[in-house]
Amino acid sequence: MNEIIVSMQGISKSFPGVKALDNVQFELRSGEVMALLGENGAGKSTLMKILSGVYTRDGGTMEIFGKSYGDLTPKLAQQVGVAIIHQELNMCRHLTVAENMFLGREKYKGFMLDNAAMEAEAARVLGELKIDIDPRQVVGDLPVSKQQMVEIAKALSTNARVLIMDEPTSALTSREIDDLFRIIRQLRAEGCGIVYISHRLEELAHIVDRVTIMRDGQYITRMNFADTNLDEIIAYMVGREIKEKFPRVTCEKGKKVLEVRHLNAGRMVRDVSFDLYEGEIVGFAGLMGAGRTETTRAIFGVDPKEGGEIVLDGKNVVINGPQDAIRAGIVLAPEDRKKDGLCTKLSIRHNIALPNLDLLCNCLGVVSRQKEDAMCDRAVENLKIKTPDVDVDAGNLSGGNQQKVVVGKWLARDSRVVIFDEPTRGIDVAAKVEIYNLMNQLKQQGIAVMFVSSEMPEVMGIADRIVVMCDGRITGEVMAKETTQNEILTLATRFENKFANG
Amino acid sequence: MNKKTSKWKQLMAIRGMGAALTAFVGLIIIYVAFGLIKPQVFSTRNMLNLLRSMSKYLLIGVGQSYLLITGNIDLSIGSVVAMSAMTSATLMCAGVPVPVALLVALACCLLVGVINGILVGKFQLPPFIATMGTMFVARGVAYMVNNNRNTNAISSGIGKEAADSFQNFFYYGSTLGVYNTFWIALIIFLVFFFLLSKTRTGRHIYAIGSNADAAKLSGVSVVATVTKAYLVSAFCACVVGFILCAQAGMGNMEAGNVYEMYGVAAGVIGGVSPLGGTGLLLGTFAGAAVWQTLENGLSMIGAPVGIQRIVIGIIVVAAVLLDIVFRRGIGGRKAPAKKEK
Repeated sequence: MNEIIVSMQGISKSFPGVKALDNVQFELRSGEVMALLGENGAGKSTLMKILSGVYTRDGGTMEIFGKSYGDLTPKLAQQVGVAIIHQELNMCRHLTVAENMFLGREKYKGFMLDNAAMEAEAARVLGELKIDIDPRQVVGDLPVSKQQMVEIAKALSTNARVLIMDEPTSALTSREIDDLFRIIRQLRAEGCGIVYISHRLEELAHIVDRVTIMRDGQYITRMNFADTNLDEIIAYMVGREIKEKFPRVTCEKGKKVLEVRHLNAGRMVRDVSFDLYEGEIVGFAGLMGAGRTETTRAIFGVDPKEGGEIVLDGKNVVINGPQDAIRAGIVLAPEDRKKDGLCTKLSIRHNIALPNLDLLCNCLGVVSRQKEDAMCDRAVENLKIKTPDVDVDAGNLSGGNQQKVVVGKWLARDSRVVIFDEPTRGIDVAAKVEIYNLMNQLKQQGIAVMFVSSEMPEVMGIADRIVVMCDGRITGEVMAKETTQNEILTLATRFENKFANG
Repeated sequence: MNKKTSKWKQLMAIRGMGAALTAFVGLIIIYVAFGLIKPQVFSTRNMLNLLRSMSKYLLIGVGQSYLLITGNIDLSIGSVVAMSAMTSATLMCAGVPVPVALLVALACCLLVGVINGILVGKFQLPPFIATMGTMFVARGVAYMVNNNRNTNAISSGIGKEAADSFQNFFYYGSTLGVYNTFWIALIIFLVFFFLLSKTRTGRHIYAIGSNADAAKLSGVSVVATVTKAYLVSAFCACVVGFILCAQAGMGNMEAGNVYEMYGVAAGVIGGVSPLGGTGLLLGTFAGAAVWQTLENGLSMIGAPVGIQRIVIGIIVVAAVLLDIVFRRGIGGRKAPAKKEK
C-alpha cells in the first residue's frame, strides 16, 4: 500500500499547431484517489490518454508498477493494468452489456465464443459493484447513467489496478454519484490507484486524497487535499483568483414575457405550466430524466406537442417547428453542444450565420459577406470567444468557447426568450462564470431566461426563481433566496404514487 | 407452453431477428401470391431453378452484408465477379488445368479485397470512394486479361471432358436432387454465418459497425477486421464469377454488372442496417430469396423487365422505410428515452 505505482516525468506532446503537454510530471500511489485538475485545455485528458495508450508521447519517461514503458497501445495498457473511462461514452450501442465488457478479449470455448461464460463473469463484476443491470441487455437501450456504470464495470473486469475516470459524474444523478463514490472507496480500499478528473470541485471533498493541478499544458503543483481548500485550488487552476463563483445581478422584475399553459408532449412533459418574466432568470431543477430537456424541446418545437398553449408577450403563438419558435423570438441553446448545438465541421462564421440567414441574405438569397462579418465580429467581441479568427472550425474550440458560439448565434437576433439547457456542462470554472455573466446580461436587457441545470449550487446561485420537475410534471416552484437544497431535492423526488392504495 | 414462449422470446431477443423473420414472412407471401396467379410457380422444376438462380444473390448478399454491418460498403463486387470469370476462363482457354486456373483467379480477387481493406481500414478512405476505385480497376483488368474480348468456349483449351466436369460442378450438375450451385452457396453461407455469429472476428465486425472508436479503444484491430470483411466479399464475388463462367462455358467481360447493388438489396431487405452494427445473415438469405422470387414470379406471369426493376426498387426502399418507421414511429419522431428508476 501507498507505494508509487505510476510515475511520469517530463512528458511532452504536440498536436499540429498546439503544444498540448510541456514537460509534465505525474505520480500516483496505490490505495489513493488522485484528482487531476485544470481548466479545459489544460492537458489533463491528453496526459491520461498517454498513460492509457490512446496517444503516444513525444518525450519523457513513464513507469508503471516500477517498470519503464515505451509507447503503449490501448491493449498493452490494459494488460499492464491501466484502464480508462473516457469522457465521451465509448460503448457499442448495438451490442449487449456483456459483449461490450469483453470486447477485444472475448472468451472462447473450442471454436466458438463462450457467451455463457462471458455473461456469467459480467454478472459477477456487476454484482460485486452492486449494479443492477442484466448483462444480456443491449447497451443502446440503457439510460446514459447506466451505460456509464457498464463502462466502469468493463474497466474493472480487466482487473485494472490503475483506473482513470475522466468526468465520470457529468451524466449521473446524485444517487448514482453516491453509488459511484461507494465503488471508488471500495476500489481504493483494495489498493487500486484512481485518477479522478472532474470539473465539479464540490465533489472532491467526498473522495479525494491528493490533487495534481495543471494549467495550459504544464504541471503546476501537487498537494494533499487535506492541506488545501477550494479557493486555493481554483486560484492555481485559473492562475488568478476568481472572486465570485456565482455572480448575481439584481433587476426589477418586469412584465410577463412567456406563458406556457398545460403543455403536453409525450410521457416526459405532462401538463406543464409556468411563466417567464423580464429581468428574471428562472432555473429548472430536477433529477436526470425529469423531463426538463423534453420541455425545452417541446417549447422550441423540436418534438411534437400533444396539447397546450404558448403565449408570448400576450399573444398566442403556434409553434410547429424550430423555425416558428425562432421567428417568434424563442431560442434554445441545447444540452448536447456537439450533437444538437453546433455543426462542428463548419466554421464559427457559418455556425453563427446559420439561423440568421434570413437577416443576412438579400432578396435573391445571396448572403451578404459584410453583414455576416459584422454579425460574427460582434458575437466574438461581446462573448469574448477565444479564437484566432471566425473561420476556425467550431469543433476545434474548447467546450466553453463552443458554448459561447451556440449562444452567440442566437444573440445576433432580437430574441425574447433564451432557453439554456445545461449550458455549463463539462466546461471549466472560468468559462462557467462567463456564461453566468452572459445570462445576467440578457436578464438586464429584459430578455426572459430559462435555465435548465442539474447542478444544484449553480441553479441556486444564478436563478431568481426555481421551478422543480419530477417525472414529466412540475412539482414545485420556489424563490432561490428562500429555499434550501433539501427542499428542492424533496420536490425533485416527489414521484406520483403509481400504486393505488399503496 | 411456458417453455415454448421463453424459447420464442430468446429467439426474438437476438438483434435483427425480427427483421429477418419479417423478410421470411414476406418471402412466403410473395411466393404464394405468384403461385396462386400462376400454378407453375409451385412446380418442382421451377423451385429447383429458383434455388439455383438465387445462389448468386445469396453469395453476393453475404459478402455485402459483412461490409454493411461494419458500416462500410463494397462497390467492387460486380467487377470482381467479372474479373474472376474472365481470369479463370482465359486461363482455361489456354489449357491451364481447372484447379490452377481457379486458384489464380481466387488470388487475384482476394488481392482486391486486401487493397480495399487497407484503403478503408488503414488509410480511412471513405469506402464509397475506395471501392469505387477498385471497381473500375477490377473491371479494367477483366477487359484486359483477354485483350478486350470475351473468351472462347473453355472446352477449346482444356478439352470437352474437363469443361463438362467444371460446368457440372458449379452449375449444371445436381446432388441429392438439388443443383450443385445451391449446395455450394449454402455451404459458404453456413461457414460465414458461423464466422459472423460465433467467433471473435464476427463480434468485432458488429462492434466496428456500432462504434469504431469504442472498438479501437477496446483493443480491436480495425484494420484487420475491416480487411477480413473485404476478403469475405471478394471471396464470395470470386465464387459467383466461377458460377457465371460455368453457366456460360466462357468468360464474359460484362459479367456481374451492378451485382454489388443486388448484394445491398438482399442485405437491406433482410434487415441488415446500411448504417452498420445490426443485421443477420439469416435475413440476407431471406432477402436474396425475395429478390429471386420476385424476378422469377414476375417473369412467369409475363411482366416486362421494366416492371421487374420498378417493383424491386420499390421493395428495397419500402423495406428500409418500414424498419425506420417501426423503430422511430411515424413522422420520424425520436423514440422516447427509457425511464430511469
